[in-house]
Amino acid sequence: MNIRPLLPFLALVLLPSALCAQPAPVPPAANPAIDTASGAWEGIVNIDVSVLVPDYREPWNAGQPSGGSGTGFLIGKNRFLTNAHVVSNATRILIRTTNDPEPHPARIVHIAHDCDLALIEAEDSSHFEKLKPLDFGGIPQLNTEVIAIGYPIGGDRISVTRGVVSRIDFRPYSHTSVDSHLAIQVDAAINPGNSGGPVMQEGKVVGVAFQGFSGRVAQNVGYMIPVPVIKRFLKDIEDGRYDHYVDLAASDFPIENPAQAKALGTGSDGVGVMVGDVEPQGSVGDLLKIGDVILSIDDNPVMNNGLVRFEGELMDMNEIVERKFAGDTIKLKYMRTGKKLESTVTLKRFDPYVRLGAQYNQRPRYIVNAGLVFQPLDRNLMDAHQMRDDTVNYVFDNFLTDKLYVERPEPVVLTNVLPDEVNTWITPYAHSIVDEINGVKIKTLKDVETALAKKDKPFIEIVLLEKNRPLVLKRELAEAAHERIMKTYNILEASYLGDE
Amino acid sequence: MKLSPIFLFLALGAATLSAQTPETEAPKKKRAPAVAEVGSAPQQVVQNNSLVRVNATSQPYSLHLPWQKESPSSRRGLGVVLAGNRVLVTGQMVADATYIELELPEKGQKISAKVVAVDYEANLALLESAPSDKQKAFFAGLKPMAVDSSTRIDDKVDILQTGRVGELIKSELRISKVMTRRYNVEGSGFLVYEANNIVRSEANSFTLPVVKSGKLVGLLLSYDSKNQVTTILPAPIIEHFLKDVADGSYEGFPSLGMELQTTLDEQFRDFLGLKPDAPGVLISMVMKGGSAEKAGMKKGDILVAINGFVIDSRGDYRDPQFGALSSSHLVRGRSYVGDKVEIQVIREGKEVTLKGELTRRKPDDFLVLPYLFDKGPRYVLMGGLLFQELSHPYLDAFGEEQRGGAILRLSRVASHPDKYEEEGRKKLVFLSLVLPTPSAQGYDKLGGQVVNKVNGRAIKDLNDLNEAFKSVKDTAHVIELNDFPHILYLDTANAANDNKRLLGGAYRIGSLMRLE
Repeated sequence: MNIRPLLPFLALVLLPSALCAQPAPVPPAANPAIDTASGAWEGIVNIDVSVLVPDYREPWNAGQPSGGSGTGFLIGKNRFLTNAHVVSNATRILIRTTNDPEPHPARIVHIAHDCDLALIEAEDSSHFEKLKPLDFGGIPQLNTEVIAIGYPIGGDRISVTRGVVSRIDFRPYSHTSVDSHLAIQVDAAINPGNSGGPVMQEGKVVGVAFQGFSGRVAQNVGYMIPVPVIKRFLKDIEDGRYDHYVDLAASDFPIENPAQAKALGTGSDGVGVMVGDVEPQGSVGDLLKIGDVILSIDDNPVMNNGLVRFEGELMDMNEIVERKFAGDTIKLKYMRTGKKLESTVTLKRFDPYVRLGAQYNQRPRYIVNAGLVFQPLDRNLMDAHQMRDDTVNYVFDNFLTDKLYVERPEPVVLTNVLPDEVNTWITPYAHSIVDEINGVKIKTLKDVETALAKKDKPFIEIVLLEKNRPLVLKRELAEAAHERIMKTYNILEASYLGDE
Repeated sequence: MKLSPIFLFLALGAATLSAQTPETEAPKKKRAPAVAEVGSAPQQVVQNNSLVRVNATSQPYSLHLPWQKESPSSRRGLGVVLAGNRVLVTGQMVADATYIELELPEKGQKISAKVVAVDYEANLALLESAPSDKQKAFFAGLKPMAVDSSTRIDDKVDILQTGRVGELIKSELRISKVMTRRYNVEGSGFLVYEANNIVRSEANSFTLPVVKSGKLVGLLLSYDSKNQVTTILPAPIIEHFLKDVADGSYEGFPSLGMELQTTLDEQFRDFLGLKPDAPGVLISMVMKGGSAEKAGMKKGDILVAINGFVIDSRGDYRDPQFGALSSSHLVRGRSYVGDKVEIQVIREGKEVTLKGELTRRKPDDFLVLPYLFDKGPRYVLMGGLLFQELSHPYLDAFGEEQRGGAILRLSRVASHPDKYEEEGRKKLVFLSLVLPTPSAQGYDKLGGQVVNKVNGRAIKDLNDLNEAFKSVKDTAHVIELNDFPHILYLDTANAANDNKRLLGGAYRIGSLMRLE
C-alpha cells in the first residue's frame, strides 16, 4: 500500500466539470466565520508552478514540461513555506494571494527533499510587506480540531476544511519514498492543491498538509508535517545551507523472544532493542555491532520494540536523532555480551541512502560514447527505464542490505546502446551494470570518463557485472563513429557529470 | 527481456517453455450423430493398435508447507506401446503421479501401471503393468510401434489423437525446423523438431505421439495455438533414452558443463585474435565438476571442434541429418554418459586437444535443486521455524510481483551459485517461514533469510542443520543468518515443547522433518 503524494497536483487541464458546487452549509456558531477581505489569511498563497520533469531515458534532452499548483504561507519577511514537492523541478514559480489575481514571480531559497519542505521568496517583496506572517503552535493533541487551508482542487479561491487530529506517528514521506519522519494524521479533507498549506489550530500553524491516501485506499486520511519537523528545517537553514537529516544508519530488531532477551542479557523491564544491522559508513558504523542492545539514547530509555517516550508521546527512537543536526552528538548506552557500555556519537548524513530515493532539481548525469549510454544507478533511473535485468534489480534492491555501496558507491548502468554499425553486436547488452572499462574498476560515473580516456590499447574493453563476455569496440572505429552517432541521435553534449 | 547471445550448456536456462500441448479444458466437441445412410455400409473406423490412453493422477507436495500435499489433478495422454509391453509417455505426464492407468481406446478396458524409468530433463517416461492375466489380455491386441530417427526437415508427419470410441484423429504437420531447446525443467537444451499447422484439440493433453508411416518420430512437446507452432520431442532423444534404459542402469543425458559466446562480431573476433573465417566460439564459463572442466577446458579457450565436428562462430556444427545445429546436441543427444570426448580448443594462439569422459551432473549435485518431482521437499521444523533447501520450483512458485526483497536475493543466489559453492555449501539452507509458536515469539514476520551457522556449526545442508540442533549444549539454539536480523535465539526446552505441540496440531504436521 503506497501513499500517493497529493500532488499529481491539479493537472492544469483537469477541469473538474464533474464536481458541482455544493450549497455551502451554514457554519456552526462555534466556528467563527472568516472574512477573506480582512486579510487574516492573506498570507496563505497559491503557488503556481511550471515544471520540467527530467528525462532519464534520454538524459541529454530537456525533459517533459508540465505544471501544477499548491499552497504556501508566509512565515517571515518575504519567506513562504511550502512543500518541496510543490516546487520540485520548477522552471517558474508564481505566487497569488486570494484577493489579488496578479501573479508574483518567486524563487526557491532552500529546499529539503528529505522532509518535503521548501522556503521560497517573491522576487519583488514589496507586495507582501504588509502581510502578517503566520505563527507556529506545537504538536496538537489527539481528537482536537484543526482546519486545513489552501487552494485545493474544486475552485480557484482559498478553501478551508475541518477535522480532528487522528494519529501521531512516524511515517514514510512519499516525496523521496525512502524518508520517514514524524507525521500527524488528520481527517480534515486534504486534496491535491492543499499541499504546502497550513493546518491550523487556535489561529496557529500546527502543520503543513502534504500527503494522503487516494480515496480508493482509505477515507479521510490526510497527513501533515508537524511543527518539530518544520522547526528543524528552519533551524538547519539558519546557516544559509540545508545539511539534510542525520541518521544512525543501523536497523533495530525487537527483543520480544524470551530466549533472545535472556541471551542478550536484557532485564524484565522491557528496556533495550537489538541491533539487527549496522551500516559500516553510517554514524555508528565503527561503534555498534549486530547483536548489541541499545539501552538508551540521550538518557531516554529505548523499549524492546525500538520506541522511546519523548515529549509525552511514544515515538520511534530515531525521532531523537531526527531532531539533531550534522555534527551534533548523542549519548548512546548499549550492551554487548552482557556488558553495559556508553559512548558519544557524532551524527552524520548517510549518503548511500539518497540514491534509493527520488531526487529532484538535478539534471540527469550521463556519458555517451560511441552510442553507449552510461548513467548512474538511482531510483530516478530505475523508474524511468523499467529495468528487467536481474543483476540491476538486485544491486538496486540490495544496495544497503548487502552493503554494495562500500565497493561501488555509484553503480553505473549501460542503459542504452544507440544502434550504429560500430555497436550493433552489443545492443543486447543494454541494462547491465558496468564492472570495468579498460581495466579501470567503475565505482562512480566519473570513473567511466577516466577509463575511457585511457587510450593505450587498440580496443575499448567493457566488462559487465555478471555477464560472461566483455564488450569490445575497436578504438579507431568507435572514435570515428562517435560524432556520427551524436549527430544522428541529436545529442548535443557527450556527457553531463554534474556541476562541480 | 533482452535476448543475449549466450548458449548454456548446462543449467541456468532462460527460455521458458510455453504451456502444455492443447488445453486440458478444451470442450469435447459434440459429434454429429452417425449418419446411417440406408443402403450403404457403415464407414470403417480407423484404429491404431499401438496406442493406449494413459490417465494419471498427479499430486505434488506443497513447496511452502512441505509436510502436506497439494490437491490432486488428473492428466490424460496417449501412450505409445513399445516392445516388451512397455508404454512410452512424456515425463510431464507422470510427474508427481499417485495413480496411473492405461486404457484401451476402443474398448475402454483399464489396467493400472507403474513408472519403470523416467527422465524429467529429457521429459520421457516408460510405463509397465505388473504381469497378470489381465495384463496379458490387455496387451494381447496391441502391437509395439517402432521408433524412426530418420526424420528430416520438410518431412510430413502426423500427430495422433483418439476420439470418443477410439477412432484415430490425425493432424498433418510438416517439420520446418530442427533446433535445441530446454524442455520443461530447468536445464540445458535438447533436440527439438518444430512444425507449423493447426492441431485440433481433443481430451488428450500431456502426451501425443507423432508418427510417420506407422513409426514413431516423436512426442508432442508443446503447441502454441496462437501462432500454430508445434514443438516435438524427437525420436533421436527417445532412442537415446530407451537405449540407456535397456542396459539396466539409467545414466541420463551427458553435458559438458560450460557456457559459450558467439563470435560473429568482427571487432570481438579481432580482440580474441580470431581470423575472419576461422571457426570457434569463446568459452566464457566452465562449470566446476563438469565434463569440460575434467577434460581440462578453461575459461577463455576458443572451442573449435568436438569429436571431429567443427564448431562455427555461432556455436553450431553441421549435422549430417539436420544441417546447422547447436553443438550442445553433439554431447547431449549424440553421446552417452561414459563416452570419450575429444575437444579441440585454441589456447594462447595454439591448438590444444583435450580428451575426457562425458558425465552428467545430477539434480542433487546443484546447490539449488533444478527440479523436484515425486518427492517432498526436504525440511526441518524447529520450534515453529521452518527451514528448507532452496530450489528452483520454490522460487518459481512466487509470481513476478512478489519477486522483490528476499525472493529477489534468493533468485540471484540460484543464478549465481558459485560463491556459495566455494564456501563448501552443498545446499542453500534458508528460513522459509515461521509458524506462530511461543518459542518463536517475535520472529513471525521473518522469512527468506539464508542460514550460515547454527550452534556454532556451519550449515552446508539440512542434515547439518538437524545435527546442529541436536548437538546444542546451551539452553538456547543460536541461529546465525546471512541477512537481517542476523541472529536468532530459540529456547531449547520451549522449542522442543513446541515441536511436540506442532505434531498433529492445527497445522496438521505429521513429521518435524523430511531428510530423505
